[in-house]
Amino acid sequence: MGSRRSHNLLLGFLMVGLLLMLVPVQEAIHKSRPKVFDPDRKTKRVSAISIGPTPAVIAALGGFRTVAADLLWLKAERVWHGGSWWAMLPILDAVTQLDPHFILAWQVYGWHAAYNLQAESETIVDKRYWLDRGIKTLEKAVEANPDNWEMVFELGWTLYDRAHEPWRAAEYFYRADQFPGAKSYVARLYYRCFEGVMDFDRLFPALEYAKGHHNDPTVSDDVQHQTIVNRDYDWWVQHKDDPLEHRRQIVLENTRRAERSVPFYLYPDDPYWDVCPICGLPSPKGSDVCDVCGAPLRGLSERTGRPSSESTPPDGAEP
Amino acid sequence: MTPQLAFLIGLFIVVVVLLLTRKQWAPALIHAVPSIWRIAKITVAEARRRRVIQAVVILVVLILISMTFFSYLSPQEQSRMLISGGLAAITVFGILLAIFIAAFLIPQELDDRTVYAILAKPVRRFEFVVGKYIGALIILAAIVVTMTVVLIGVLLIQNQFVQDLPDSAFNPNLKGVVFAAVMNYFAIAVLTALIVLISTVASTTMTVVSAFIIWAVGSLQSTISDLAAHAEIPVTKALLTIAYIIVPKLENFDFRHEVSNFVPVSYTAAWNPLIQGVGYIVVVMILASIFFNDRQV
Repeated sequence: MGSRRSHNLLLGFLMVGLLLMLVPVQEAIHKSRPKVFDPDRKTKRVSAISIGPTPAVIAALGGFRTVAADLLWLKAERVWHGGSWWAMLPILDAVTQLDPHFILAWQVYGWHAAYNLQAESETIVDKRYWLDRGIKTLEKAVEANPDNWEMVFELGWTLYDRAHEPWRAAEYFYRADQFPGAKSYVARLYYRCFEGVMDFDRLFPALEYAKGHHNDPTVSDDVQHQTIVNRDYDWWVQHKDDPLEHRRQIVLENTRRAERSVPFYLYPDDPYWDVCPICGLPSPKGSDVCDVCGAPLRGLSERTGRPSSESTPPDGAEP
Repeated sequence: MTPQLAFLIGLFIVVVVLLLTRKQWAPALIHAVPSIWRIAKITVAEARRRRVIQAVVILVVLILISMTFFSYLSPQEQSRMLISGGLAAITVFGILLAIFIAAFLIPQELDDRTVYAILAKPVRRFEFVVGKYIGALIILAAIVVTMTVVLIGVLLIQNQFVQDLPDSAFNPNLKGVVFAAVMNYFAIAVLTALIVLISTVASTTMTVVSAFIIWAVGSLQSTISDLAAHAEIPVTKALLTIAYIIVPKLENFDFRHEVSNFVPVSYTAAWNPLIQGVGYIVVVMILASIFFNDRQV
């Protein structure tokens, strides 16, 4: 009996020893695994409960957050095909909260806000809001997925193509191109940002950069890339000081900017802007002079009336 | 006490105890292996006769195959849905089967009184407990392997269907799927050990209920830690802290999220949860053997 008791005592000690060994091991592993959920979509560890009930509930889904995100994604698909564009936003927001690494959901969320909803909006204020929201969404996506070049590229593209902020876009294209696996068009878009605004101080280094990257002669995409970059490089060396080319670029850039103004031309009676009688471009309602050409606008603000929502097709709603 | 100090103290105690008792456990271990293996084989044979297990496995296989109905989605979406849904099905049904297999292992032997026939032979009680556990592990391994193979088959077939589509971004991520399934199996093994431990002292119903609670607590260790940090009542705080320390962190074995999102996984990092799991199983099995040893049958 005494022997059995001492045997059990030794076993007890063995277990205490093993448990003491296990506690730090478990703790170390647990802390080393990034917490997937975070309301700010960061991968750092935060206390979900301290933030609010919704994050706490989401955290309580444990490993099934991905499945919950998938089910909501299917719902978003149905809503999209049903044409309820505005109803998609809360669903996409929930999907990205549940699964901050769901790249496609982030891409669709940012694009939907910056392109579709921006186009669908009727006022300048609303348009600005949706564009900003799309960009902020993509910024959050980049923060949540800092190692994903597609996400960084998506933000750069939206800034370049939709917000017409080439310098900011260039930063993201450059960042995206640093990742392994980034496509060659990212490097080309990097210098294209400076072409449109003829920022030669940055354009030539960017062209040099594009020439120095994606230059594997065995990869057909890289060969094509080098051909395009060399052609562009030669073109700009030749036309750098050519005033006609400068004018052509200015026209192209203004055309790009004017594309944003298509609704202003279509609905000149909208009360939120004044259309300049000289250059035809819009300026905010109440402006004394045209933002574009400086022509006087006083007196035009008296116009009233708005276009009906039925007659407002979205411009470029589905790129 | 710092984690490093706790680890060193624990290691010291284990080494000392093992050295002191080497004359007892070394010969006993050599004798125990054949007995444990025989009991494990009997356990597997009994489980094979159970229609419920076969029915559940067939159900999971059908669920996995039916996931190809997502073909209206883009290839990129399809691969994500198949992987996350498939791994979730393997996890849920694997855990459920583990609970219902392990919870009945020992109580059923006691209820049917078949345990007397086994213990009348030269089989020690710890051999009986460990043999039952290893038998359950073999059955669960077969189930997880079957489900994983079906999932891989579904992914490969779907890949064949969509690979000719323009810009097809279907990624079957087979390596990741196998890795997540293996890690999932280790989580099941840890949970099964705990269920066997509880079943040595509790009734079947109590064991099943406890197993579900342990599964929930083990899978939500981050939330438990948060709750403990924010608890204002000292007793609640203490209970939650104990739950956080004692219950195995099943979250550490869960790589489904990373695999579904094609996030690169460090396969070498899997060693840490594996060491944790094996250590936990050893502790729990020793406890189960002691409890069953002291039980009146």
